[in-house]
Amino acid sequence: MKRLLKGLAGVAGAVALAVGGTASADKEPIKFALLQDFTAVYTFVTSEYNQGQQDYLRLINETGGVEWHPIETIIRDTANEPQRGLEAYNRARREGAVLVDFFSTPVSRAAVNRVLRDEVVMITALHGRGDASHGETFPFVFPMMATYWSQATLLADYIDRHQGGLANKRIALVHIDSPFGREPLPVLQELAQQKGFQLRSFGYPSPGTEQSATWSDVRRYRPDHVIIWGAGGGQQVSVREAIRNGIRPENILSVVWLSETDARNVGGNHMNGVKRFEAVAFGQEPAVIQDILTHVIEPGLGAGPAANVGSSYYNIGVATMAVAVEAARLAIGEFGAPLTGDKLRRGFEMIEGFDARGLMPPVTITATDHQGGGYGRVSQWNGQTWEPLTHWTNAFQDIVWYEIEKDARGFRDGR
Amino acid sequence: MDFQFLIELTINGALTGLMYSLVALGIVLIYKSSGVPNLAQGAMVMLAAYIVWIFAGLLGTPILVAVFMALVGMFLFGMFTERFLLRKMVGQPIIMVVMLTLGLESLLRGIGPGLLGAAPKSLDLGLDMMPIIIGDVFINREYLVGGLIGAAMVGLSLLFFRTRLGTKLRAVSDNHISSWSVGISVERAVAISWGLAGISAVAAGAMWGSVQGVDWTLTALLFPAVAVVILGGLDSIYGVLIAGLIVGILGSVIPGYVDPLVGGGTRDVVTSLIILLTIMFRPHGIFGREDIERV
Repeated sequence: MKRLLKGLAGVAGAVALAVGGTASADKEPIKFALLQDFTAVYTFVTSEYNQGQQDYLRLINETGGVEWHPIETIIRDTANEPQRGLEAYNRARREGAVLVDFFSTPVSRAAVNRVLRDEVVMITALHGRGDASHGETFPFVFPMMATYWSQATLLADYIDRHQGGLANKRIALVHIDSPFGREPLPVLQELAQQKGFQLRSFGYPSPGTEQSATWSDVRRYRPDHVIIWGAGGGQQVSVREAIRNGIRPENILSVVWLSETDARNVGGNHMNGVKRFEAVAFGQEPAVIQDILTHVIEPGLGAGPAANVGSSYYNIGVATMAVAVEAARLAIGEFGAPLTGDKLRRGFEMIEGFDARGLMPPVTITATDHQGGGYGRVSQWNGQTWEPLTHWTNAFQDIVWYEIEKDARGFRDGR
Repeated sequence: MDFQFLIELTINGALTGLMYSLVALGIVLIYKSSGVPNLAQGAMVMLAAYIVWIFAGLLGTPILVAVFMALVGMFLFGMFTERFLLRKMVGQPIIMVVMLTLGLESLLRGIGPGLLGAAPKSLDLGLDMMPIIIGDVFINREYLVGGLIGAAMVGLSLLFFRTRLGTKLRAVSDNHISSWSVGISVERAVAISWGLAGISAVAAGAMWGSVQGVDWTLTALLFPAVAVVILGGLDSIYGVLIAGLIVGILGSVIPGYVDPLVGGGTRDVVTSLIILLTIMFRPHGIFGREDIERV
């Protein structure tokens, strides 16, 4: 029923869910606002992502809260509309939220100036503006996972180290024709000059349901490797068209938005061998996911279908809240309650080598670096699961930081 | 010039265009009988695809049974839509009726993913993913089957309008009052046309769902379908076929050559230009009927 409510635009906006629990009731609750797109563009990921966030916060509340402070969530639908997002943000701020997660690039971009002024922490994991990694320019914005620039450089590095090198190769970037799709271009162009490979980009119109003409052109380019850069249903269309046009799955690499659902939809074993950037471990093995199963799912306290637990996007949601809770814990420990946005910001900037017990790469956030190091790994679909091919690593951060600083300078100059 | 590239773009574009025709056909069927441009047709395609998926993917029935169930379900959905929504709008300004279909589109787009989950669903029609290769020309097998079904559906629609029931629908499309005066139930005729639009939505939903998975983005097929009906003529079934081919071929060949020069994304520009230029220079489309009213 909750799902249905989320599906009905105009109704879901009113949903505000408090995650109860066994944390001490006399301690002031910490309020996190998860104001996300449940009904428009990001629907392919939001339900699992948000479920992971809620389940993790339930786990925290069931096991004592953050220094005995329970965490309350404010959940509202923004439908990926900046106006609705800002309206929901204003309400959440009045209700005492110290952290907001829009999980939508247009909404979080629209909210940047507001959160900077209001001193409310905004997390922008795997979305939003890459230059928000520049902590001095964006003190209250925390990408806290690899930006799209870091993802592109890491995929290129994988080709360089493990697939015969980049020199003299032809790389095709096949992307949705949007700012998100074009985001990796500058770092890949810089790498093409440094490493001596040919790069050509091929855009397809949003939402990516029909890409046949694009892939006819890609095939004629005869690329050695193809990097696909899209999200949602367009990703499986890209994989199918690539394979149909004779590109071997092992030579297809993807941005983080490629999941086991896409593999199932491509069908059979066609996607076996396709690689992707991975920001967070997949599956139920990580200790924190096991804890969720024990303390949240088995007692029937889960926020959604148990089958989602351990999925790619569920685990990303868990990881975002694990980092946020760690920041809150550090902030309260160092500066005491009540938790404010500014204290929480400083808590984030105290995080060092935090990996959520093996769920994610070790993240170190400083006042300068809000990206957390830009770490990730490459994993491969083997027909059953995403198999990691590398350790957690990062690559060409000098190139990434050149872009971060250039764009942050533009923001400061009002461009 | 690389002629094999041009041939491949043309063939795959033509087949894609015929698959757009499947969506556009529903719009024309409704417009022909009731004069209502149905902006919910994209959402009806999505709904039909979800029904096929429920039976084939969720309940595990054979795909033909799933399609049959969807045909029944969508025919009834079309009939009920006319009975409980459109009929209440008799006498209201046409713009309000159009807004109603837009509201229906929004509602369906929310309900489908809301009830069944937003992640794209797999719809396997059992078609081989590998292309047919002739020389260096790759022909997409799914588009080939979809294009043939599109052409067949248009052919069946043309035949249908030669039957007794089809003749009644043509009479209704000509003039509601005259049809009433000779004893034709206009309401029933319009309801049947909505039901038939539901059936064409099943064909479109199954084919496009197989190509891209089943999710809300199927509703985006409305845009190229609108280009097809505007170019072909809102009331012309022939128009759906020819305009589908034109929209598909232009939307494939022009981006194929221009995208590399400008960095991509010109297909939607081509589709938009088709709509704009048609409305400016031939507002009733290539085959549409131009009504001249005495003032």
